[in-house]
Amino acid sequence: MAFKRPRPSSPSVSQKRSRAPQGQTQHGGYVKCGTPMSMEQDGDDGAFVPVWKQTVTDDRGRRRLHGAFTGGFSAGYFNTVGSKEGWTPKTFVSSRSNRNKDQTNAPMQRAEDFMDEEDLAEAAAARQLETVGAFAGIGGADQPAAVHDGLFGLMITEDETMGVKLLQKMGWRRGQGIGPKVRRHARIEDGEGSGSTDAVPEQLFAPEDARVRVFAPPTSKRGGLGYRSDAPSLVQDVQPDAIRKVPLGLPSLEGISDALRPKKPKVRKSGIGTGILNDNGSDDEDPYELGPKITFNRTIAKEKKMKKPTSIKASKFAKAAAGQRHVFVPQRDATQTSSSIDRLCRDGSLPLKGFSLLTIADGLGARHKLPPPRIPEGWTSSKNPLGLAASRQPLQSIANATRASTLDAKGRASLLSEKALPGKSIFDYISKEDRDRLAALTGKNLPPGLGQQLPEDTKNQSFSQGNDLWGFVPALDKHVATAALAKGTTGWMPYGDDPKKRARYIGFLEIRAGLKDGLPERVPGITNVEWGQELREFAQAAHVFKPIQGLMASRFTSSTSHPQSHARGGPSHTPLLGVPEPKPEDPAETAAKLGMYGAMTRTVIPFHPARLLCKRFNVKPPPDVPFDSESAPRSSRTEEPVSKAAMNQMFHQAMIVGSSMSHPSSAEPHSAAFIPDRAAEQAPVDSETNEALLENRASDDVFRALFGDEDDD
Amino acid sequence: MSRFPTRPIARLGGHGGIVHAITYSSGSSDFILTGCADRTIRLYNISRASLDSGNPTSGLVKKFSAHGYEVLSLAVNQGNDRFVSTGGDKTVFFWDVATAQTLRTWRGHGGRINACAFGGEDESVVVTGSWDGTVKIWDVKSNSPKPIMTLDDAKDSISDVCVFDAEIISGSVDGRVRSYDLRMGMCNVDVIGHPVTSLTVTKKGSEILTSSLDSTVRLMDRENGQLLKAYRDEGFVNNELRVKSTLGQNDSVVLSGSDDGMVYAWDLLEGDVLHKFKHSDMREVKGKKPSMTAGGQKDVASSVAFCKIRKEWASGGGDGNVVVWGIEP
Repeated sequence: MAFKRPRPSSPSVSQKRSRAPQGQTQHGGYVKCGTPMSMEQDGDDGAFVPVWKQTVTDDRGRRRLHGAFTGGFSAGYFNTVGSKEGWTPKTFVSSRSNRNKDQTNAPMQRAEDFMDEEDLAEAAAARQLETVGAFAGIGGADQPAAVHDGLFGLMITEDETMGVKLLQKMGWRRGQGIGPKVRRHARIEDGEGSGSTDAVPEQLFAPEDARVRVFAPPTSKRGGLGYRSDAPSLVQDVQPDAIRKVPLGLPSLEGISDALRPKKPKVRKSGIGTGILNDNGSDDEDPYELGPKITFNRTIAKEKKMKKPTSIKASKFAKAAAGQRHVFVPQRDATQTSSSIDRLCRDGSLPLKGFSLLTIADGLGARHKLPPPRIPEGWTSSKNPLGLAASRQPLQSIANATRASTLDAKGRASLLSEKALPGKSIFDYISKEDRDRLAALTGKNLPPGLGQQLPEDTKNQSFSQGNDLWGFVPALDKHVATAALAKGTTGWMPYGDDPKKRARYIGFLEIRAGLKDGLPERVPGITNVEWGQELREFAQAAHVFKPIQGLMASRFTSSTSHPQSHARGGPSHTPLLGVPEPKPEDPAETAAKLGMYGAMTRTVIPFHPARLLCKRFNVKPPPDVPFDSESAPRSSRTEEPVSKAAMNQMFHQAMIVGSSMSHPSSAEPHSAAFIPDRAAEQAPVDSETNEALLENRASDDVFRALFGDEDDD
Repeated sequence: MSRFPTRPIARLGGHGGIVHAITYSSGSSDFILTGCADRTIRLYNISRASLDSGNPTSGLVKKFSAHGYEVLSLAVNQGNDRFVSTGGDKTVFFWDVATAQTLRTWRGHGGRINACAFGGEDESVVVTGSWDGTVKIWDVKSNSPKPIMTLDDAKDSISDVCVFDAEIISGSVDGRVRSYDLRMGMCNVDVIGHPVTSLTVTKKGSEILTSSLDSTVRLMDRENGQLLKAYRDEGFVNNELRVKSTLGQNDSVVLSGSDDGMVYAWDLLEGDVLHKFKHSDMREVKGKKPSMTAGGQKDVASSVAFCKIRKEWASGGGDGNVVVWGIEP
């Protein structure tokens, strides 16, 4: 829109200013003395200008609407279109398939889209700030900081919270405190003193209102390590001598309100380059605060000396004038000014007997600033100085620490005194000469070869009679041995034709089950190798008759290490070559090889026949058959870690085991060996006691060490 | 126990290789269908065949040739008008007997197909088991080239399949017999422990006869997977070849071929060897150890079939002959 008046540099509120009446802005208007200030800087005083003299400018004072010979093109370009490209028509977008209303975040057309700068400016001018919600006057219910005048509470927002409504239904009125009524003398509310209290009988009064104490938010604790804030902390702000008391009659109220209001920190003058990044860093000053940071006195006169309140009594009278509200007495003031009312609680009552109120001066501030205990002279730590030295070292990453460690997995296992897993290495199969040659070539400490005398083992003191012989005794898990033994007691036991061998077998199992110490007995006159073969046979037999561990067990395989090299060779060496352990045989397969067909060789897996197949066979499909069973269920069996089918299979296995236990006549006798294992697996459940609840509470130091590090001051 | 047919009554010749499959026709069982390694299927009329070695093709009715590889298994439907043959060419052939033409072929297996069987109501499906470890079920009634279903639980080649009622049973080289129960949606996996080469379900359906490569034929209880009887003999060798075993004489006799060209017959209940036959010699062997003929590798009794209604059975072997054994007249 072009301007009728040349108004160059005034992006004022209303650019389309109506022409003022001639008489007012002329020199003779209402101006009695002095020269009137021109409204416009350029002298557009609304004086009459003939049309041919008028020029049209934009808001930056550039001339628009030239004559035909002085740039008409420019006029059209700048005044109508606003872009160099001229009109750019919008491309048509069919909304047939892409409805505007269907789009979730469709660009909404706003009125502002059709406004030019001028209209926008006008719209911005027309907007005026308004408060949201029902404000009535000065006081706001949610503005505790707005109590700086003495008229707090006189005007309160009209809307009531539900809490207020509830309280009012219970008989509470505004301005009263909450609690049982108090019997006391009526207070003469005229501020003349309490001279005639004796004559007036005591009455029941509502308790006095107590302000909710608002704690200032923790501030200035978010700097980095070693940072010292320039901003004065809040506690320093509310030092008693700094409390400003305005002699308006509400000294205590004013004091606390001033103290509670987070003050603008005093901006410290910093030099050039004080920007957002390197400002003085306190958190409660807004680095993005608009406007210059100018410190100035807000009072014209010299700052008044703050008067201290003369007494609590005076303040009470003062408060009585304000409708007997807000009797909050800050404790600091109370303790300092009066000893008669010492340390009232928030509701004005005395603290419980035996308790004393915590004050910032003696409690919060000092609590975390205890000096560390002094170490007596001449005291030396009983801890390992090596460890102390190690802990003094700069922090290492785990990867570095692992790299620096000289221990391997076996060494750590031996440190933790873990049991070695059964396994074999290539050195069980090569002869001593080969082993020595390898050791000479590599220079490593290699495990002993086949039939080689093993070095002394200091760990197994109880087996000192034949440490080397233990190399022949095959490892057998304890639970396997126990299960095989238990199976033997209930019925089947191998070597029925050779009672001596069976006795040896039982002895071996007992040793491996931990029931007996010592080496397994041997047939006199056989070589160590033969003896070891027999023992291996025993171990295999025990494995055969151990209970089926279920599908879960076959899903994981344990890493194996060489037990001899672990026990004898020390932690520092590693075997040169690992021989792959033969896959553990399926127990069902083993049972089948032994001719024990039946429950041990049978597994039931779910199977989802296609619906068409069931139709062709004219059978009702099982209920869990999906409609598209060719694609869906069968291929997914191996893709998940434990698929649903596998879980079903495990359930079926458990069912089989359970059913064979419940019907011992039809089932195998070996399944009875499951019983002790399964019974042991179930943890006892006592619904009466809860150990977690019954345990003693940890001491407060623990809690403080864990949680109480607020470090407030 | 009734007498066992021990006398050879016919010799069906003309094969150019090992006879892998022998099937009696349904119904009156007058015909024998043989599948041979020479890629042809032959149909013989037993009553016209003779023992005469001068006429090797006596009794030959028809030759069916479409296979490009050896024929490994055959199955005849109840109406005797259709049969299925499978073999080394990964393809299932569905034949019309009268026209000797293939009505349909199904491709989809990844290896040679070791076994086939009819199944379903009105024999509306064909079940095949393949070297690729899958059992595929093909729809006879529709024109779909894809199988109805593929059972791929086996970890190794499927060596035999059979269908009983609504159950599909597969035997695999991984040593397991899997019974897929369509009604229950359950599959019973029974571990035999050795590669299974042959499956035969009894008429009752509660037992199954399995041959495995540990020179043992086992009769397993299908109900709980327990072993009912194991049939062995010190001369009985079956540890590398797929030889068939079968039940005969109203499920009272177990009959099995062997790797060395012998055919053994056991009593089902007792487990005793009733008879031993030398297939290539066409005679019964008495005594301990049969004389080893110079047949070499080819001397194998790879397939046996028992006639369901007569006391008659047939054995096929590596010499390319099928011997029909019957009661002496």
